[in-house]
Amino acid sequence: MLERLRHPWSDTRAERTLGAVSLLVCAVVVAMVVFVAIHAWPVFHYNGLSWLGSGGNVGRQIAAMQTTTQHPPPSAYHLRAWPLVYGTILTTSIAVVLALAISILSSIFIVELAPARLRRIAIPVIRLLASVPSVIYGLIGILVLVPFVGNHLITTAEKESVQNVVLLTGAGLSVTVVILTVMITPIMVALICEALVSVPNSWREGAVALGVNPLRAMLAVTLRAARPAIVAAAVLATARALGEAIMISMVSGGNSFAPKPIDGLVFLFEPLRTLASGIVDFREGIGAPALGSTLYAWALLLLFAAFVLSIGGYLIKLPLRKYQVRG
Amino acid sequence: MNRFRRLSLAFAVAGAVGVAAPAAASALTTITISGATASYPLVSLLASKYVKTHPNKVKFKITQGGAQIGVNDVAAGRVSIGDVSRDPVASDPAGLVFYPVAKYGICVVTNKSNPVSNLSSSQVTSIFTGKTINWSQVSGATASGPIDLISRTSVAGVLTSFQTLFLEGKKVSTKAAEEPSEGLMRAKIESDPNAIGFVSNYQSDKGTVNAVGLNGVACNHQNVKTGAYTGTARFYEVTKGKANGAASAFIGWIEKSAAAKKIINTQWLTI
Repeated sequence: MLERLRHPWSDTRAERTLGAVSLLVCAVVVAMVVFVAIHAWPVFHYNGLSWLGSGGNVGRQIAAMQTTTQHPPPSAYHLRAWPLVYGTILTTSIAVVLALAISILSSIFIVELAPARLRRIAIPVIRLLASVPSVIYGLIGILVLVPFVGNHLITTAEKESVQNVVLLTGAGLSVTVVILTVMITPIMVALICEALVSVPNSWREGAVALGVNPLRAMLAVTLRAARPAIVAAAVLATARALGEAIMISMVSGGNSFAPKPIDGLVFLFEPLRTLASGIVDFREGIGAPALGSTLYAWALLLLFAAFVLSIGGYLIKLPLRKYQVRG
Repeated sequence: MNRFRRLSLAFAVAGAVGVAAPAAASALTTITISGATASYPLVSLLASKYVKTHPNKVKFKITQGGAQIGVNDVAAGRVSIGDVSRDPVASDPAGLVFYPVAKYGICVVTNKSNPVSNLSSSQVTSIFTGKTINWSQVSGATASGPIDLISRTSVAGVLTSFQTLFLEGKKVSTKAAEEPSEGLMRAKIESDPNAIGFVSNYQSDKGTVNAVGLNGVACNHQNVKTGAYTGTARFYEVTKGKANGAASAFIGWIEKSAAAKKIINTQWLTI
């Protein structure tokens, strides 16, 4: 068997094998989406699209689902998921915008300005950072950042200002966004660095020869040529942020509250829950049919978001194609 | 080529070991258990004792996750026994049999720096339902400012028991932060001077948090044992249908043997 595998394969055989593998992957993805959609169906059937709206308290609604029997009435599926959807959008968008700014600036520094010796160290270190499992970030968050924010940054006056609505314990929006940003920045830096390095030196030199100063050449030529890679990096990072569950479950405060920007600075400390972290928090209850179905509905929403994201990334990249660097 | 040959040899060896190991172990019956994070310390102690007293008969695979996971897993046939830290409820799948194995105390706990020694039932209810919101309204508290309520996610067995025993069936305020396990609840209380929460007496007996007495009775193993402390709930071993085979032998051993009773009585209480 092994002996046979060692001989070079004929073209048709290789083609068929690889084709079969990729078909299998497609089939698995489709089967997964269908499976999730079937399980999520009762939720959308009984709630309609107002399921995505706001109203009532998610925690209470979930607790009510727990107490129903194995064949729950349609009313048991009642949920208004907006706080979770909002939490997901809020954390992901803030983290991606922050990470985008940080990663573009640091990539420019690493590729264009840093001395060669530093660059040789920095790039492998960033690659290593990009592969740190998220639960480790969560652990650091819960043991270091959450107590620090709770005990030193939040004042008693701030706590009392909102104590009738929500409790500020330290875990919340700020810690979640900070860790999420730290988590997704390295992968973006790694991708953007690669793109910047692959911009031909002659383009840069051409720009400088035309009398542009180096900084301007960097912004107008190098960064411009790397735009498709920046979009790709942002899409990848957004996907990671959207799906992050364990870390957010650990540091987000475990309350399905929708942080209110109107509260001023306190807004940054308010707890929240995202779709993915909600699935982690309530996974125990998947046996109660209404709650199980609700968790699948959240999962379906995440799948849909990932789908929109990749289509969106493709559409943004389309007009940028003409600038694309070809090795 | 040489490298390839070595690699394939390594794979072959790994494969052979992978096949051989389960074959060698198959002489033992495996009892799989999943469920409550609160009863995990007890069950793992019992299991290791059982393996010692019944050599070469069974081995255990125990995972935690929560009371509800235990119920779901055992109902779906994924495990032989589910651990549950609350009484049976209406939404439990039909056909499950609950075997009570031990009693445990649920302690209201605060941060060490805020040594509240005692609360009455009505005070506990008032705090956890969100009526009392500031430590200045609580006598004996040294903390100041708002009370940080820490609860468990709504699927936790200890939360269900807590609401029945302490809050007369009322629900913990929606403002509370929800922790997914006992350990995380304790960690949160340890790091937040304004926090109040509830854990099983096994966790609070470790002494890293301040256990608050209920109606003048301190929450510790001694008072749970004598029955003076009223906030006690039960751990159950749950099987699908009546227990049979190795699971039945294990549950019977927990219920009857002196060795098991001794272990239960170290931190918990026999039924």
